[in-house]
Amino acid sequence: MHSEVLSILEEISSAQAQILAPGEDEVGDSSILVQPESIYDVCLKLRDNEKYSFKALEVITGTDYKEYIEVSYVVGTFDMKNPATLILKTRLTDRENPVLKSVCDIWLAANYQERECFDMLGVRFEGHPDHRRILCPDDWEGFPLRKDYVVQDSYRGMTVNPPDKMNLEDQDFINQQDSMKDELIKRALAKGL
Amino acid sequence: MQTWDMGIPELQESTTDEKLKSELLTVNMGPQHPATHGVLRVEIKTDSEIVAEAIPHLGYLHRCMEKHSESVDFRGVLPFIDRLDYLASMSQEYTYSAAVEKMLGTEVPERAQVIRMMVLELQRIASHLMAFGTYALDLGAFSPFLYAFDEREKILRFFEEISGARLLYNYIWIGGVWNDVTDKQIDSLKNFLDEFEKEVVKYDELVSSNKIFQSRTMNVGVLSLDDALSFGATGPVLRGSGHAWDLRKTEPYLLYDKVDFDIPIAHGQKGSVVGDCFSRYIVRMEEVTESIKIVRQCFDMLKPGPIIGKVPKIIKVPKGEIYMKTECPRGELGVHLVCDGGKTPYRVKIKSPCFTNVSILPHIAPGQMIADFVASIGSIDIVLGEVDR
Amino acid sequence: MNNNESLTVSKYFENIYNAVKTSLIGMGITIKYVLTTKPVTIEYPEVREVLPDTARMRLYNDAVNCISCNMCATVCPVDCIYISSVPRPKDLEVPKTEDGSSKKQVLTQFVIDTALCCYCGLCTTVCPTECLTHTDDYEYSQYEVDGMKFDYTSEELISWRDRLVVQK
Repeated sequence: MHSEVLSILEEISSAQAQILAPGEDEVGDSSILVQPESIYDVCLKLRDNEKYSFKALEVITGTDYKEYIEVSYVVGTFDMKNPATLILKTRLTDRENPVLKSVCDIWLAANYQERECFDMLGVRFEGHPDHRRILCPDDWEGFPLRKDYVVQDSYRGMTVNPPDKMNLEDQDFINQQDSMKDELIKRALAKGL
Repeated sequence: MQTWDMGIPELQESTTDEKLKSELLTVNMGPQHPATHGVLRVEIKTDSEIVAEAIPHLGYLHRCMEKHSESVDFRGVLPFIDRLDYLASMSQEYTYSAAVEKMLGTEVPERAQVIRMMVLELQRIASHLMAFGTYALDLGAFSPFLYAFDEREKILRFFEEISGARLLYNYIWIGGVWNDVTDKQIDSLKNFLDEFEKEVVKYDELVSSNKIFQSRTMNVGVLSLDDALSFGATGPVLRGSGHAWDLRKTEPYLLYDKVDFDIPIAHGQKGSVVGDCFSRYIVRMEEVTESIKIVRQCFDMLKPGPIIGKVPKIIKVPKGEIYMKTECPRGELGVHLVCDGGKTPYRVKIKSPCFTNVSILPHIAPGQMIADFVASIGSIDIVLGEVDR
Repeated sequence: MNNNESLTVSKYFENIYNAVKTSLIGMGITIKYVLTTKPVTIEYPEVREVLPDTARMRLYNDAVNCISCNMCATVCPVDCIYISSVPRPKDLEVPKTEDGSSKKQVLTQFVIDTALCCYCGLCTTVCPTECLTHTDDYEYSQYEVDGMKFDYTSEELISWRDRLVVQK
């Protein structure tokens, strides 16, 4: 299936599509990698061709590797005679300002999925009708699923991790007990431990 | 039956008299509401009773499950996966366990597969009973709610005997299942199914032949097939629009290709329109009878044997990624797992069916009355734990 | 299916007849249940339900048999178990637990914060001496959140051992 889809996408020269298969010590599914500027044309071609017509967009996810942010589009045919699922990937190397073109007018499901990708990873989608956060509050700072994310100290006047609810005394006891060792051993032996 | 074509109201301004101005009223169907099935906030703009626009606001139950899973080991992610859709926990544990097993290449023994299939179908019956009871309660009927919960209690008691808990089981482990099933439990399940099969027909007739229920749900919230596919809707929402797509038949997992069952779709039963609220409801009720058939065939397939395969004590998954999907009671759940060779997952992404199904609400709401909007929310059957993760 | 036909007098009465007839069918089913079935409610707290053996309710740790291996604290997904221990001085003799393993460490702190515990059962499956088990007690609510932390090395909780630990 992947090689047939690759031959369909060869017409779009700006995509430079290639297959990523698992290597020697790796396991899992293969996927198709394209360039970020051509994502709109690739998606339109995937939906509108005759052989593998991918009518439904299932999910848009993202992963933060340290050098680049990788966004995956999982599409499906939902056809009883030709069932197939394809993972389509792009890599964005600019971590300060990652931008992609929105596919909201190709599939209606992209509306909520792109909002979640923006909320969690900070990827902006040009042309999205309602570009705001979906799960975090609208005035939250930072993008939680990046690997270098540090949570903010206070939000609208409330402290985010208050120390009296973090069970710090119980964790301190584990470190402090070297100084009180003899007393603790005496008490424990008296109870039969 | 008779309906009125109301059209979608627009903002009107009177051009003759400056003092007479009309605007749309914004009503907040707030996070605390008995009919929204959880903490869902919908901002509705209405013109007296007819909805012009409905905007859902999500995130009131966001618990950062995906970020937290990156710091726990593979077995420790299972209690978090339970708590996504807390009314159908077994189905979600199976999807995650199957994804890790496929990456590791472990083989699950046959007795464990049959027990898993039996438990998944019983969970589907329990979840659809809950959807039936609460949908009738939203529309004003009280007795079906109590009948549904009485039958559901017997299934939950069986689950408590095999796993220890009534709602969040942690039972389907990586490699097999936790505890075994005894013959005495199978006999009591057989007695329960014989009685339940006769009762569920009467419960369905009590609700679906009632003229008031039919008037409130037929021709309300119609979703066409092209829109359903473009939104990515799955489960009873897609089968209620006329497309017979079920992952148990098209991409079979476990032992579903060895059992015999049908897939119910909506074709205008009892005079309904394909794609309205009544067809989604009737698809769920017909799925309950199909699940009873599958459980009966599982009893004959049980043979003695081990219940868990060979899994190392500390699980380390080699590098790679996988996208695994199965058919849960509310749609298709997808788990996208990225591993890098360590003891904890690198990224766990959950594609939840209720999140994609909630996105059809702004599309079907304009032109309905507020009471019809309540019926539409109930027919999609959402659980907010899965929408917000 | 938009029937835009006008409402005649006969259609008006036909609608009323249909509504009354279907409601009476429903009432017939419910009245049959009222007259024939027995009530299924259990009147708690006078009558309590008997839970099965595998029920996962409150945790209990038998501190006399614990070897301080730290497996339960490592595997807990919400980090609610706090264990600390010191090595036993060399001049004292090493006692043994009930199933034969030797206790090389002295257990000084074993606190479980049951307000954080999610009752998943993972800690009981990895305990090598099976001293950490689930009992069937579920009625232990407290007035303050700090009261939900239980120290299993205190004398009061060690004295519950006779009641809660099943002798093998």
